Amino acid sequence: MPRLLSRRTFLFTGAAVAGTAMVAAVGGVGLLSTVDVDGLESFVDGERAVLNAFLTIHSDGRVVVSVPRTEMGQGIHTGLAMVVAEELDIPMDERLSVVFPTELHPAYSNWFNVLGVRPEEASGPVVWVGRRVLGLAGFISTGASASTMAMWHPMRVAGASARQMLIAAASARLGVPVSALTTDDGFVTHAASGRTLSYGQLAADAAVLSPPEDPALKPAAQWRIIGRSQPRVDLPAKVRGAPVFGMDVVLPDMLHAAIRHAPVFGAELAAINNEPDVRAQPGILDVAIVNRRQVAVVARSWWQAEQAAQLLDISWTSTDFDTFATAQMSRDLNAALTSDDPHDAVDDGDAEAAITTAADRVEATYEAPFVTHACMEPMNATVIIREDGAAEAWVPSQAPIAVRQGVYNGASWADVHPASVTCNITMNGGAFGRRSDQDVVAQAAFLAARHRGRPVKLIWSREEDIRGGLYRSHAAARLRAGLGPDGLPLAYDIRVTAQSAIEGIAGRNLPFNPGPDGDRFTVEGLDKPYYTVPSRRVRSQHVPSHVPIGLWRSNGYSFNTFFIESFIDECALAAGADPLAYRRALLRDHPRHLAVLDRVAEMADWGAPLTPGRGRGIAIEECHRSIVAQIAEVTIATDGEITVDRVLCAIDVGLVINPDAVVAQMEGGISFGVTSALMSAITFEDGAVVQSNFHDYPIQRLANAPEVEVSIIESDLPPGGAGEPGIVPVAAALGNAIHAATGRRIRRLPFATTQTIGLRRTRSVLVPEA
Amino acid sequence: MVSLTVNGTSLDIQADAAKPLLWVLREELGLLGPKYGCGIAQCGACRVLIDGQSTPSCITPLGSVSGASVVTIEGLSDTEGTLSDVQQAWLDEQVPQCGFCQPGFIIAATALLAENPRPTDAEIDEAITNICRCGTYPRIRRAIHRAAAARDQA
Ligand code: FES
Ligand code: FES
Repeated sequence: MPRLLSRRTFLFTGAAVAGTAMVAAVGGVGLLSTVDVDGLESFVDGERAVLNAFLTIHSDGRVVVSVPRTEMGQGIHTGLAMVVAEELDIPMDERLSVVFPTELHPAYSNWFNVLGVRPEEASGPVVWVGRRVLGLAGFISTGASASTMAMWHPMRVAGASARQMLIAAASARLGVPVSALTTDDGFVTHAASGRTLSYGQLAADAAVLSPPEDPALKPAAQWRIIGRSQPRVDLPAKVRGAPVFGMDVVLPDMLHAAIRHAPVFGAELAAINNEPDVRAQPGILDVAIVNRRQVAVVARSWWQAEQAAQLLDISWTSTDFDTFATAQMSRDLNAALTSDDPHDAVDDGDAEAAITTAADRVEATYEAPFVTHACMEPMNATVIIREDGAAEAWVPSQAPIAVRQGVYNGASWADVHPASVTCNITMNGGAFGRRSDQDVVAQAAFLAARHRGRPVKLIWSREEDIRGGLYRSHAAARLRAGLGPDGLPLAYDIRVTAQSAIEGIAGRNLPFNPGPDGDRFTVEGLDKPYYTVPSRRVRSQHVPSHVPIGLWRSNGYSFNTFFIESFIDECALAAGADPLAYRRALLRDHPRHLAVLDRVAEMADWGAPLTPGRGRGIAIEECHRSIVAQIAEVTIATDGEITVDRVLCAIDVGLVINPDAVVAQMEGGISFGVTSALMSAITFEDGAVVQSNFHDYPIQRLANAPEVEVSIIESDLPPGGAGEPGIVPVAAALGNAIHAATGRRIRRLPFATTQTIGLRRTRSVLVPEA
Repeated sequence: MVSLTVNGTSLDIQADAAKPLLWVLREELGLLGPKYGCGIAQCGACRVLIDGQSTPSCITPLGSVSGASVVTIEGLSDTEGTLSDVQQAWLDEQVPQCGFCQPGFIIAATALLAENPRPTDAEIDEAITNICRCGTYPRIRRAIHRAAAARDQA
């Protein structure tokens, strides 16, 4: 039995337990049992009937699905609406719309991400208490590729429950038994008499009935929507350019704000040297010091605010980090690879003995830089604090709970304490983990508290967005393996160093901090239990810096899968084996993984020869309960310019709700992953971020976008995640392809130096050999 | 005061002539389709048609477009709200993910097809320089070909 020492449960487990103890002590289990975690309570409000927390039907037949998860491009509003529509027996047509509810209903809480248990499998006292405590806390968030896994079952039940109530209402109205009624297309029909009633006609009657506790769910064989690609519900507005994003919020009397952060994280404001000049600029209403650390300019227009902010001459306090540079972080991370007291994450068998006595040993050190999100929509938030103390926020956010907390915190800097906060979650112009924090919200709330009664919209310039990031940590790893007589690893031993993400996230957002040791984000991806390797050891070491670390699409997998799947290639080559055949041997006990690997190999025609200068590389990972394998094909020109010709991708994502959305997530994830592997690095000089905009933090453009082909494996497992897995194998597949093309093993990201040529294309040239 | 035509309507705009057209459209005219993504002509989220040319409005001062005809994403659909063929192709190919970059891409594709009704992949790569962080590129290419093919048949 492997000894797993990692804290497998998510960081909020501690909060759940502490909160549970508190609530249990204060209110007892009696109070907790009144918390409606299923959201099936119904009521009538005017012409609309709220059949449960997820579903409202208007008397004219319009159906509004409440999806308490952020739409940031992944198509979750469509996917979860499909689940409701399936059970409710309505088509995905214009009668159906989706809203992000403003109410923080306990049924919306993201307890799945904390407890790690699928709702359809949930049982036992820990889950019972955890759901209620997290529900009371309003813990609603979108991330960890979890929305479908967490919500598809509750929303299925919501749809089925509502349908059953509509049938019961029709039965009473028509005086016929429930068994004589059928539903289709938004109508209940009594076939025997030919009478038909629309859901709109029945909804008010239905909403006063008690919801069934355990409604029958439609068998999969009868599904007409789930598993069939449906057009996204949010796209008609988006192709029109409709104002759906946080940046597009317009409110009466609104003020606009721009901001400047200290160049060195941790520095405080010493002086604004030209405040009168800045205040004298056209349209300027206020120059405000925000929490000692930023300076905001408030104006009648954002352009005026930003122009004036560009004139600000600010002195900042000096810090201990004023000489910090990327090279220093790199030295610290590499030095920590041999630290005395690392945190054990996996210790299965005696890896050390197996490696020492092995006939062949492979050893390599890898590294990946800080990177940032660069969401297409720069960070922004709009907040009003009304005279009566009621606050309201409009934010492109992944976490209403962070919005609420951000408003309270920011207002408190101005000694204002809102009585309530209403959170309006807009469409997000990309998010990638960046919008789970409260930073921009707190700043906007502070400004709103200074301008009580008027909405203030704060937009960060792209430069502030790149330089005021919450980055993915710089990381390093040393990997060692001992190979057996058959060339396969008898053991591997991995040391990884990075700055803990959890410590930073908890420090900024939570009332407690689990600390950096054993951060699962630092090690995720390094333990590959599906590879048959007799002994494995994984240890991590936190390396602190002044740089704030946050969630970043695929987190630790983004570097660890690069490290280990490149290293596995090194082992294969050391053993004289083909990288595909080698992985097939390692996966011999895991047919589900093997099927994914075989599918992608078939798509690429793995064995087919390539012309000189071209190479093919493969990688596989299991993450977020999905398995994804990719093959990258590259061409390396004589001057080192790299072209990614195509990327093949096979994924087993369990049950697929909306296949086209899964394909889109793979396409997008691959683009994101190729960009990161070839061109992304946030670097530091004199304590400050060097990059500032897309000219020095380049992003792939159309001319460089590889051909992408995606194949979804049929699977009878429940849904897995799709938002992050698409990125995860890309870097290793590319690195392995570069090696195949050139014989060079590049162990440090990014692989290339990238210039933007005439704004048209990016030109990425492999880093020179050291 | 600067006179120009925006989405077919003649306007006299009282604003600082140095103010970028992007912010005039967004703040003075309430046309929120053009987006701010970089402010330095890198990303294309702010693109609009100026006398038919796809132009980054974030670096185009209002004063420089006096007398010009400006079309934003809002001006592509007809007065009944019917989508333009390019917008329709975008919907048919399910191009957008987050959608923030897409008005700029749709404008750029509209300008390309006006000049070159049947562009090759290489010509598309040459003409479309915008950034999409969500990585919708394969679908953008397909949507441009689809719109071109639909025009051929019309
Ligand atoms: S905002 Fe104009 S090109 Fe980016
Ligand atoms: S769709 Fe999100 S940036 Fe392009």
